Amino acid sequence: MSEPENTPDEILVESAGRSILERVSIVWLVPLGALLIALAIAWQHWRDRGALIEIIFEDAAGIRVSETELKFRDVTVGVVESVRLQDDMLHVAVGVRIDNRVVEFVDEDAVFWVVRPEVSARGVTGLDTVLSGVYLEGEWDSQPGTPQDSFEGRDTAPLLSPGQKGLQITLRGVGDEGITGDAPILYQGVEVGEIGPARIAEDGNTVLADAVIYAPYDRRITSTTRFWNTSGFSLSFGPNGASVDFATISSLLAGGITFDTAASGGFPAEDGDVFELYDAEEDARASLFARAEGPSIDMTLIFDTNVAGLRPDAPVELAGLKVGRITNLTGLVDPERFGDAQVRLLATMALQPERLGLSTEDDAEGLDVMQYLQQAVAGGMRARLTNASLLTGGLKVDLVTLEGAPAAELDMNGVPFPVFPTAPAELTDVAATAESVFNRVNNLPIEELLQSGIDFLNSATSLVSSEDVRGTPEDLRGLLGDIRGIVGSEKVQQVPDQLSTLMTELTGTASELNKTLAAINENELVAHLTSTIQTLDETAASAKTAIDGVPELLDQANVVVAKLNTIPVERLSDDLSGLIQATEALIDTPQARNLPTDMSAALSELALVLEELRNGGTVENVNRTLQSASNAADRIADASQELPALVNRVNGLVAKAQGLLGDYDGNSAVNRDVRNALRAVTEAARALDGLASTIERRPNSLILGR
Amino acid sequence: MTHSHHAISARSAGHLACERCGAVFPLSQEGQPCTRCDHNLRSRDMRSMQKVWAWWLVGVMCYIPANLEPMLRTRTLVHTSEDTIVAGAIALMHHGDYGVAAIILIASVGIPVAKFAAVAYLALSVRGVGKMAPGRRQHLYELVEYIGRWSMIDVFVVAILSALVQLNVAASISPGPAALTFALSVIFTMLAAQSFDSRLIWDTLGDDVQNDAPDADLQKKERP
Repeated sequence: MSEPENTPDEILVESAGRSILERVSIVWLVPLGALLIALAIAWQHWRDRGALIEIIFEDAAGIRVSETELKFRDVTVGVVESVRLQDDMLHVAVGVRIDNRVVEFVDEDAVFWVVRPEVSARGVTGLDTVLSGVYLEGEWDSQPGTPQDSFEGRDTAPLLSPGQKGLQITLRGVGDEGITGDAPILYQGVEVGEIGPARIAEDGNTVLADAVIYAPYDRRITSTTRFWNTSGFSLSFGPNGASVDFATISSLLAGGITFDTAASGGFPAEDGDVFELYDAEEDARASLFARAEGPSIDMTLIFDTNVAGLRPDAPVELAGLKVGRITNLTGLVDPERFGDAQVRLLATMALQPERLGLSTEDDAEGLDVMQYLQQAVAGGMRARLTNASLLTGGLKVDLVTLEGAPAAELDMNGVPFPVFPTAPAELTDVAATAESVFNRVNNLPIEELLQSGIDFLNSATSLVSSEDVRGTPEDLRGLLGDIRGIVGSEKVQQVPDQLSTLMTELTGTASELNKTLAAINENELVAHLTSTIQTLDETAASAKTAIDGVPELLDQANVVVAKLNTIPVERLSDDLSGLIQATEALIDTPQARNLPTDMSAALSELALVLEELRNGGTVENVNRTLQSASNAADRIADASQELPALVNRVNGLVAKAQGLLGDYDGNSAVNRDVRNALRAVTEAARALDGLASTIERRPNSLILGR
Repeated sequence: MTHSHHAISARSAGHLACERCGAVFPLSQEGQPCTRCDHNLRSRDMRSMQKVWAWWLVGVMCYIPANLEPMLRTRTLVHTSEDTIVAGAIALMHHGDYGVAAIILIASVGIPVAKFAAVAYLALSVRGVGKMAPGRRQHLYELVEYIGRWSMIDVFVVAILSALVQLNVAASISPGPAALTFALSVIFTMLAAQSFDSRLIWDTLGDDVQNDAPDADLQKKERP
């Protein structure tokens, strides 16, 4: 058309000749590159995008879309993408986009919970979330598994934080205190574990709580380990006064639990084991040797009597073994049942058949327990109130078998529990008994006893200080003086002199005999001599007899002295012993006071006896004997006038005389007897002297009898 | 309009001017280097519209993430926030700072969007779309050229804040991905505006102008 006309050919040629590359600007590479980059980014983003999981929570407090993070070991591994209510309006589903790297680990064992700031007695946790808001925390193991996309979220963090090792157990409270949750577990004051929130078990009776013991302390837990509550506070009274001990502050506030492995030989505990938690250490330790308490059987007891002192938790004992306890006490008025409007006491008793050795494994055997009790009741078993403690007046229930008890049976139809028959209480009034004891002590005549003792001592003092007693030693001294006087008297001293005189005279007689013999020789008075000698013989015999009498006399003296030596003193001692005994018995009698007087009289009599002894005719007898010997000599002198006649018979006479004289010579019996007599007298004197000195030294021996 | 009809362009007069030194050559010299400054002589830039559209497209592509991605990443002790441009402005409005919000909205949304629209309109107007007078269109072009550099004010603010607010733990501000793409978007838009050969505005005036558009087919279609 007009185009070729207006346009120069060259230009047209040039335009048509341009290649596509020349016609398209190179700038188009820029949007192309940008597009490629954008696509690459988008593809990479899509490829790296992790899986979306859904976690179900009770509520979504603090969770914000695209802000709240999911953390694993404090590393962010995901972000909340959505929060929506579930269709049933009961839970909240939180969608979390998790990183590709962790998807394969988030398998069925993964748990999730919300970390919130928490202030408890044990400290503050999750403080950083106060400002930054809550975050989700997840925990899973390091084993890849089948990824899952829906999870149940936990309310609280697991006791073992991620990466922490420990033993996970369950505690079951068996005491009255139950379990205080969220408390530390202490061992020797060191926190070695933690107990989670407590919950009521499915049976509704026991309290359960999960607990964890951190490694390496978990090795301390064995099957013989016992747990018990510690209040963290203990108050004790003792001889050293009162003492108050505190454990850690946190256990003071929240309570604590401690444990001990009291017995060896247990096997190590494993995860999931159930342990029992006791109220006190004593219970825990006692439980080591006791069966675990199984389920209990409730029964009703109805008492007519006053039961002041019976309280809940009072023991129920069978032959001293605790087989149950009282769980409840209430009054009961039932005119229709008992026929009057009296208030009776209705006690509920929880029997533990396992304590009786009866198994309660299943219902069938539980019936056996009832059958056993029925038989026991039929055999006379009754529940009876007795004193549990004499001091506090507390009561307990005894299951006793009474012979001849009124017939009764276990009322299985009782409401709410079977009714166990009771027997009249056997209570001791401790107060009255104690009062009577004190009364008897009170009535003891202590004052009179003391008064008698005082009187006795006064009497003894007055006796000892009386003039008569004081005079007794003096009387004894006088007695000894008398004895000494006897021994030292002139006449006794003269006895040896007189004896020597006798000897001298005998010597003289012998001389005269010699002369007479000479005259006989001269005058041949043999004939006369014969008769004379006969006479002399007789005379000599009589002389001998007379002389023989001297030893007897001395023997008699000897006997006297011996008696003096023994009998009076012994009697004195006996009398004194008797005196002392009499003093002890009858010290207050007037006779006792007169005793010294009697003793003085006795001593006086003794002195008289000695005086008589002194005045006795011993010496006179000797003198007389010597006189008669002298007379005999005179007669011999007369007879010698007829010596010549008697020469023939002189020899025999001489022989006899020599024999006679021989008897008198040297160790004659006379001398010996005399010496013995003197020795006896000397001994007697010495004995008396000893007695006197003894009494001088120890006057009290007179009283004491020693 | 009327006076334009009487004007004669250099091209219609069979001349062309060197774009650098202004030396006039006959139209036959097109494609040859300028004898004075050695600049390549072009009566019209045949690929101008391609460049415009190419840069314009990249600019728009970059503007999309610039608005979706966060511009500022503000981290304080308790909180980390990432705000896109519009969200930030809205947050400011919620706080009552309408002035600041208006500035941000104008500088970051209004001006870029207006630029995209203006460049696109100018490029389309070369093809006869739109009834605006060539003089008004020239003014529009100059306005776009002039205002283009001020679009960087957003990036400038982000750069200054990021440099100043680095209080370690307490607070810190760092640029988000949008800062980069926004800057790229501004740059590409400026390149698109620069690539536009403003002489083309005038070529659409009269029927007397022959061969005024590089694409002969389009000219033919407009004729009837």
